[in-house]
Amino acid sequence: MATQAHSLSYSGCNFLRQRLVLSTLSGRPVKIRKIRARDDNPGLRDFEASFIRLLDKVTNGSRIEINQTGTTLYYQPGLLYGGSLEHDCSVLRGIGYYLESLLCLAPFMKHPLRIVLRGVTNDQVDPSVDVLKATALPLLKQFGIDGESFELKVVRRGMPPGGGGEVFFSCPVRKILKPIQLIDPGKIKRIRGMAYSVRVSPQMANRIVDSARSILNKFLPDIYIYTDHMKGINSGKSPGFGLSLVAETTNGTFLSAELASNPQGQGAAMLPEDLGRNCARLLLEEIYRGGCVDSTNQSLALLLMTLGQQDVSKVLLGPLSPYTEICRDSTGSGPGGILLKHWYI
Amino acid sequence: METKDQKKHRKKNSGPKAEKKKKRHLQDLQLGDEEDARKRNPKAFAVQSAVRMARSFHRTQDLKTKKHHIPVVDRTPLEPPPIVVVVMGPPKVGKSTLIQCLIRNFTRQKLTEIRGPVTIVSGKKRRLTIIECGCDINMMIDLAKVADLVLMLIDASFGFEMETFEFLNICQVHGFPKIMGVLTHLDSFKHNKQLKKTKKRLKHRFWTEVYPGAKLFYLSGMVHGEYQNQEIHNLGRFITVMKFRPLTWQTSHPYILADRMEDLTNPEDIRTNNKCDRKVSLYGYLRGAHLKNKSQVHIPGVGDFAVSDVSFLPDPCALPEQQKKRCLNEKEKLVYAPLSGVGGVLYDKDAVYVDLGGSHGFQESEEVRPTHELVQSLISTHSTIDAKMASSRVTLFTDSKPLGSEDIDNQGQWMPKEEKQVDLKTGRVRRKAIFGDEEEDESGDSDDEDDEMSEGDRLENSCSDDETEEGPDAEVTDKQYMSRKGIKRQKLEMEEDFEVDLPAFADSDDDLERSSVEEEAEEADESSEEEDSTAEEERDILESKAVREGGKPELLQTDDSSDSLNMEKSLTRKKATFTTSDSGHCTAEEAFASEDEPEGNSSLSTEEEDSENEEAIRKKFPKPQVVSSQKLGSGNLIDETSDIEDLLKEEEDYKEENNYSTETSGALKWKEDLSRKAAEAFLRQQQITPNLRKLIYGTVTEDNEEEDGDNGEELGGLFRVSQPASECKHKADSLDCSRFHVEAPHDWDLEEVMNSIRDCFVTGKWEEDKDAAKILAEDEELYGDFEDLETGDVHKGKPGPDTQIEDVEEEIKEEIDPSAEESAKKKHLEKKRKLKEMFDAEYDEGESTYFDDLKGEMQKQAQLNRAEFEDQDDEARVQYEGFRPGMYVRIEIENVPCEFVLNFDPHYPIILGGLGNSEGNVGYVQMRLKKHRWYKKILKFQTIPLYYIEDHNGRQRLLKYTPQHMHCGATFWGPITPQGTGFLAVQSVSGNMPDFRIAATGVVLDLDKSIKIVKKLKLTGFPYKIFKNTSFIKGMFNSALEVAKFEGAVIRTVSGIRGQIKKALRAPEGAFRATFEDKLLMSDIVFMRTWYPVSVPAFYNPVTSLLKPIGEKDTWSGMRTTGQLRLAHGIKLKANKDSLYKPIVRQKKHFNSLHIPKALQKALPFKSKPKTQAKAGKTPKDRVRPAVIREPHERKILALLDALSTVHSEKMKKAKEQRHLHNKEHFKMKQKEEEEKLKRQKDLRKKLYRIQGQKERRNQKSSLKGPEEQLK
Repeated sequence: MATQAHSLSYSGCNFLRQRLVLSTLSGRPVKIRKIRARDDNPGLRDFEASFIRLLDKVTNGSRIEINQTGTTLYYQPGLLYGGSLEHDCSVLRGIGYYLESLLCLAPFMKHPLRIVLRGVTNDQVDPSVDVLKATALPLLKQFGIDGESFELKVVRRGMPPGGGGEVFFSCPVRKILKPIQLIDPGKIKRIRGMAYSVRVSPQMANRIVDSARSILNKFLPDIYIYTDHMKGINSGKSPGFGLSLVAETTNGTFLSAELASNPQGQGAAMLPEDLGRNCARLLLEEIYRGGCVDSTNQSLALLLMTLGQQDVSKVLLGPLSPYTEICRDSTGSGPGGILLKHWYI
Repeated sequence: METKDQKKHRKKNSGPKAEKKKKRHLQDLQLGDEEDARKRNPKAFAVQSAVRMARSFHRTQDLKTKKHHIPVVDRTPLEPPPIVVVVMGPPKVGKSTLIQCLIRNFTRQKLTEIRGPVTIVSGKKRRLTIIECGCDINMMIDLAKVADLVLMLIDASFGFEMETFEFLNICQVHGFPKIMGVLTHLDSFKHNKQLKKTKKRLKHRFWTEVYPGAKLFYLSGMVHGEYQNQEIHNLGRFITVMKFRPLTWQTSHPYILADRMEDLTNPEDIRTNNKCDRKVSLYGYLRGAHLKNKSQVHIPGVGDFAVSDVSFLPDPCALPEQQKKRCLNEKEKLVYAPLSGVGGVLYDKDAVYVDLGGSHGFQESEEVRPTHELVQSLISTHSTIDAKMASSRVTLFTDSKPLGSEDIDNQGQWMPKEEKQVDLKTGRVRRKAIFGDEEEDESGDSDDEDDEMSEGDRLENSCSDDETEEGPDAEVTDKQYMSRKGIKRQKLEMEEDFEVDLPAFADSDDDLERSSVEEEAEEADESSEEEDSTAEEERDILESKAVREGGKPELLQTDDSSDSLNMEKSLTRKKATFTTSDSGHCTAEEAFASEDEPEGNSSLSTEEEDSENEEAIRKKFPKPQVVSSQKLGSGNLIDETSDIEDLLKEEEDYKEENNYSTETSGALKWKEDLSRKAAEAFLRQQQITPNLRKLIYGTVTEDNEEEDGDNGEELGGLFRVSQPASECKHKADSLDCSRFHVEAPHDWDLEEVMNSIRDCFVTGKWEEDKDAAKILAEDEELYGDFEDLETGDVHKGKPGPDTQIEDVEEEIKEEIDPSAEESAKKKHLEKKRKLKEMFDAEYDEGESTYFDDLKGEMQKQAQLNRAEFEDQDDEARVQYEGFRPGMYVRIEIENVPCEFVLNFDPHYPIILGGLGNSEGNVGYVQMRLKKHRWYKKILKFQTIPLYYIEDHNGRQRLLKYTPQHMHCGATFWGPITPQGTGFLAVQSVSGNMPDFRIAATGVVLDLDKSIKIVKKLKLTGFPYKIFKNTSFIKGMFNSALEVAKFEGAVIRTVSGIRGQIKKALRAPEGAFRATFEDKLLMSDIVFMRTWYPVSVPAFYNPVTSLLKPIGEKDTWSGMRTTGQLRLAHGIKLKANKDSLYKPIVRQKKHFNSLHIPKALQKALPFKSKPKTQAKAGKTPKDRVRPAVIREPHERKILALLDALSTVHSEKMKKAKEQRHLHNKEHFKMKQKEEEEKLKRQKDLRKKLYRIQGQKERRNQKSSLKGPEEQLK
């Protein structure tokens, strides 16, 4: 039967990323209709188009059809190819938007992926590159994705709206993932952070650090927040500052929180002290939620669990984030989709 | 005198016996044996060479590690599927006889006619599925894929046949299942020696094919048309104890060797259209990996299909129950072969009747019947598991009517009404759910529908009535419901409560989803209710419910024990339990149960204290809340915050009570708020987190619903009613972001909020068993005394406060208190255990290698996998992990071609192979291929794969033919197959091939959606104008555009002059300027080497041999080659005239005369000048002189003169020679003289020069001295 497996069909642009990623991993074509059909500005946005272009780059032989208004997308996935690539991400969304999907795909490429992504490294919407580096990479390491070439490097920092950041990501190929047993989060032993500032006074970072410490020090003495002030070409095109915090537990669980300043020309100016304090509070909220996996990485952990071998994996999660709920869409929808083995929540 | 003839006994001088004697003799002499040699002569065994020793060590290590296999997680099911034994061999070798004998050996039953696979129980832990494999290459390929063991029958009187080797090669490609050879027809040998020789020859040939030492079994001869019993018995023993190595494909794919097929198509459809697509169900044991419902399967010989339904059936050929006996009794020796008929009963198209004759036949059929019935019922109903679930009923009470799932479903309709009530005591507004009498009216409609349903409803109503009645009771009573039944009822009531309450509080407008959640919750509860027998377990459920309800702000029903449990747990764990309570209910309960156990005692113990404290606390909490707990004190109001927990503990001390009450009175206000807040937060959480199990394993797909909705209403055929409502719940176009924003942030400046996560840090409180201080103390208790070996100090452990007391106690009341003694014993045991652990760790550390660690890890994982699903029933398990291997499953497949059913032949195996994740897709598959060395021809590019060879620079160059003895690459368009899969090529699968049928073998290297195979393309051109190193070349391209594309390309002449394309020329179209490293000639041909990508035809045609009519199944032929087509149609190939051979006629070479230009002629020297003078013409007659005729006398004179002149010339010659010699001598002499003269002169000159030199030196000296002397 030379016919392809019949395609899955969805409507709406929500979870577009996950749908495309899962389609790529399972090899089933997918059709997404009614993308912002009732919107004043219908169709795919720039950042989504850029994402689709990125998928086209990392795969081999995929077919993408978009209708004229951009409201319908047909995607027939090819084989994950990998290799050395470069991609200019849209500045409407952060690099995290693209990187999150690449993290799901990278271990299953044919050739190790080495990619340079350009765009916005830190923004208020997507998880920043720093947070992904601090939480997602250790999580992938738990699955046995490890090695010298496994790295994520922030070469240049870029803030919205101008962008101009650059990130280098390389990941080895691992066809077989180790099953994980993450049921005991342990206790938080240290908190690390990164306060960054670009094209503003370097003093901003120090102010952020002090304010964040003022809250966190009530819980733990072992806190260290690095300041990172990038200059010249490494500082991107727009000014801004922000903070990302990561709490590490005794059992190697990483919980994170982050906050970035409002982009230039949008919203009121933020005081670095407020930002630091709010970010620290966000971290406490994250700790309050608990779980062995950060709330941003829940779906990544679950996806990798399903993609592993037939072994039982266990993970303890905090409350499910709305993003994680797409498992219903992608998995429960019949044959051929990714099938879940067992979840412990 | 006869005795004299007898031989004397001769002593053995050699052989084992003699050696033994010698040894004994030596031992008697105390000379010792070999072992002592080491001691005796240690020098001889000393290390001679470190290098050699290292080498030998390396070698042994190499050999050791060679034996290792990569450890894999053991996934073999506890009850493995029967082993597939394929009996294979050329025709007339005795396959069927062997199968019959084997079946008779194992089951004592005789099957006369065997069709398809036969499953038998061969031992306590092993079952066999025996299937015969004929000579059809399709069958061989299919069966080799699924075989665990191959019995390869070989006719010894004939020797090996092609089929055997073909099958061996097929097996090799599939990963080599276990192969055992069986030699038959051994009785045809007359001479024993020849038999022996043949056996040996065949054995060694077999070994070279399989592996040295492979088992070859001999069946010596037939008795009454059967093999000898003893031999068959031995063969059976071999099979039953055989061990198997897992094969890659078999462990990674689910597959089924179907032993039954039923046509489920609607007979009406068949009547109307005989050729309509059929719906069939196939039965068989699932093997390999887990099978998911709705997955894709491939049936070799038919095609790819999606499984429409899978269900598992009771095992028709089950292994015997666990027993201590050694062998099976007759009852347990089952045989299951639905496709085979026995004794007159024939195989029917629609049904199969297995009638096993003989004395055990009746009993056998009894064994089979129930499953058969069940299957029949399945077929007749066509009902799925869901439907069955729907029709199943549960009896809650002994005297009540059974409760069906539709009753539960109805609860969506039976939404309780909300009635607001104001509590008099507290002034709190409570929303009461009312079922009341009005429900009778409501149920009127449903009454019409179904009687049973209404009964169920009535039951429910009565329950709810009970609830309303007992509601107030429950609020007051303490231990009214301690009896088991009471608890049950109570629970039910609470369930109702829950269902009643939830909709009232829920904000979301999605009724459907919630009702389903409820339904499931109730189902889970019911099932657990049935299972649970002890009161404690009941309590667990109560607790879980209590927690769930505890979340609701208005109805703070919490259970005593659950609360104490919650209190005592650290906060992190508390959070975990909260989340678990939302997920699958069974897991939640498990979690509770497990967590309960350690706390059980404490909760029990504190219960009494609590009751004592109750009143006191009540005083202290003058709250406006009503405690609607069943059997607990008001202390349980408190939630979440750990400081309150501390307070509770403090309360246990009566002494501090007073202080405490003063303390708390101030803090109460926020506390009250806090509990509510926490409850609210919990509720919010609960609403946010959906039921995961439902989410993942639920069957509802919302997209379909949506689509249906879209297709639905149309107005006037033009406008469509837009339905935003159905989509808004999806939030189809919302922002795609993975960050989880905090909706209601806590105020982290508050001390109590901070305290809630204080224990998440290392600085916080630890659990009992993890607290470092405590562990340390314990250790000290055990290992307190130790001696520092270096310093010699003896450290005495400080007796801890507990032990001190114990010591004292022991001293005082040694005999009185037995508990102390016990504790001491316990302590001793604990100490022993710890020591043992330490020893184990130490011991293992030395031994463990990387390999061992890896193996251990795998084993741990395997144990975990097993343990995870051990206690779940199959229905639930199937949902989670799919159908596991070893199950007997029934698979429904739709849209099967009708020929499959019409032309069904049970002799041909039906195999369902599950397709992996992307294996259903089609793409380019690259392989490494080698023509089989026994295949006579080489393979041409006209076949389906394209052959290529990889050049040194990675270019894949097309090959027209496969190399004869070398690997080459090949690419074809086909289903994506994992890398490393073996493959095999046959020219044709139809059975009329005379030679070795396997054309090529190889392995899949790479998968791709694009290919890079190229073939060479040479473009040629001719110079039409030549400058120095530049030439104008035409004829290579057709247009200037083409040239522009190739600017800078490398070109070459045949003679080897390299060059480069420069630029297109205007004049002749396609001409260009090119430069070369040397001047061209007009006669040179210029060419450019280019590579042209080849496209692989996207053609893929699976073999559909099973659809052929019976008896023609081996005649399937795919695409015919042009040669075959031409032959079939009698078309002769039109030969190209140019390529015909003709006699070679050589033309005579004609050379033109040499023409020398005049100018050149002039310049030539006379010698080389062409002599232009004319030939001397004929001399005129008058000039011709007459011939002279001599007289005899004259002749004589002439002769004499001749002789004289000859003598003279001879003389002269001699004289000349002499002179020459003389001259030579003279010359030599002269030379000598000359030399002497020269020598003399030289000497003279030498002398002269010396004197001159001396003179000069003297002069020089004097000149040097001169001035000095002068100065002096």
